[in-house]
Amino acid sequence: MASKTAAKAVKRPKAKAKAKPAGPKKRAPVDVVKAEPALFDPLTPGEVADALRTLTEDRRLASMAKVGRYRVITTEPLVVKPPHLLSGHRLARVVAYDYSSDRAVDACVDLDAGVVVHLELDRSQPMLSIAEEALAVSVAMIDERVRAKLAMGDSPQSTLHYWGRTPNDLSYMRRSAAVVFGRNDGHASVVAVVDLLDQTVTQVVPAELW
Amino acid sequence: MSNVIEEANWKFHWRLTESAGIMIYLADFKGRRVLWEGSLPYVTIDHQRQELTPDQDAGEPHGPWWVPLGTRTIAGPVRVQSFRGGIELSANFVAGPYHYMQLWRFHDDGRLCPWLTILGPGVHDQHTYHPHFRFDFDLDGAGDDAIERYEEGRWQRVEHEGWFPYSGEADDHGNVWRQIDFGSRASINIRPHSWDDAEVFAIRYHDGEWAPFTPRSAAGAQPFPAGYVGDEELDGHDVSLWYVAHVHFDQSFPYTAGPWIRVEGLG
Repeated sequence: MASKTAAKAVKRPKAKAKAKPAGPKKRAPVDVVKAEPALFDPLTPGEVADALRTLTEDRRLASMAKVGRYRVITTEPLVVKPPHLLSGHRLARVVAYDYSSDRAVDACVDLDAGVVVHLELDRSQPMLSIAEEALAVSVAMIDERVRAKLAMGDSPQSTLHYWGRTPNDLSYMRRSAAVVFGRNDGHASVVAVVDLLDQTVTQVVPAELW
Repeated sequence: MSNVIEEANWKFHWRLTESAGIMIYLADFKGRRVLWEGSLPYVTIDHQRQELTPDQDAGEPHGPWWVPLGTRTIAGPVRVQSFRGGIELSANFVAGPYHYMQLWRFHDDGRLCPWLTILGPGVHDQHTYHPHFRFDFDLDGAGDDAIERYEEGRWQRVEHEGWFPYSGEADDHGNVWRQIDFGSRASINIRPHSWDDAEVFAIRYHDGEWAPFTPRSAAGAQPFPAGYVGDEELDGHDVSLWYVAHVHFDQSFPYTAGPWIRVEGLG
């Protein structure tokens, strides 16, 4: 069952040995026991709308909102532990992808205060949004190279977030999806890699050669 | 269905997430807090060549991929069922040729089993699953905790963030990692499945390292959770643990990955 991953390339830290470890440094007690379960509840449609309005009105994201080439990946409740300043607040985590600048947008919106309290813009790759999954399927379905490889009864079975292993692969740098075609009985026939920035198919691979 | 369950000495909440399967939060055992939040942030899948000719590079030709396990991929309802000595939650997820069943099992003796049954079949036989479980334990409160691993025949303190693979060494009960609360002397013991090829990442809490998680950082950078690892002190700080299994597909599937977790010393 064993298999190596890239994660294993992490330098292994030394765990310092102590015959009888002393207790950790004392800190002020943290009262996590009194956390409010309702803060974990799914966001209401109104809360989702509120979070997205607040985010797109933030001046740091003005260019993204103006160009309008972004996809909201997900908006989920976020609960921060005491003694954090935001603990006890109703928070929304909004993850989006800004295609105009090819970057991920990762924000925390304080719904109680109506402000963006945390914002990161970076080159990481969040999961695909539902809209991106649908786009990838539609791009793959009209590609002649894909169509030529499909057998009778093949249809899109799944769309996965994919990235290449080496810089030779376009999807190493660019946001991409893999559309797996096959039969409804679980047999896979063809994999099409779709570049979501240019909305083109970059690879068509028989499933058995993937 | 209520999302609060009180049974078998446990009280916990659950919800179905967008991408991290069934999340358990605010879990207490015998009235004492054990877990702030636990989930299955992602399952990445690598593929290897089915056949290799002499002129081919032996490296894997393609990168990994993943699909969120959650509201988009759930097949059927989340099931809540009692069993002799406990209660369990389970749900099936289907994403094309990938089929999973996520389980959370709570035993009245303090055992907790966050598991993932992987059914396959995948796009072909040569592939490996990497389920990533994340736990934010707050044993009897968030403070006064420390992380230890079993190494060189005894428990040793993990003072800084890092990656701690299962080396084959374990205590008499099979436990390899543990979180200890120095106030109550209670502990959370983590025993890997011997075929999981498991590893644990111990990471200090930081703003922004929040759910929903993604495995993909910037091109050329370490994937997550390795990308979160620095060299910060862990003692007395808020720490999250990632348990990662590596499971190669074979004909004997289904296979159930994930650790046994046991709470000891509470109540």
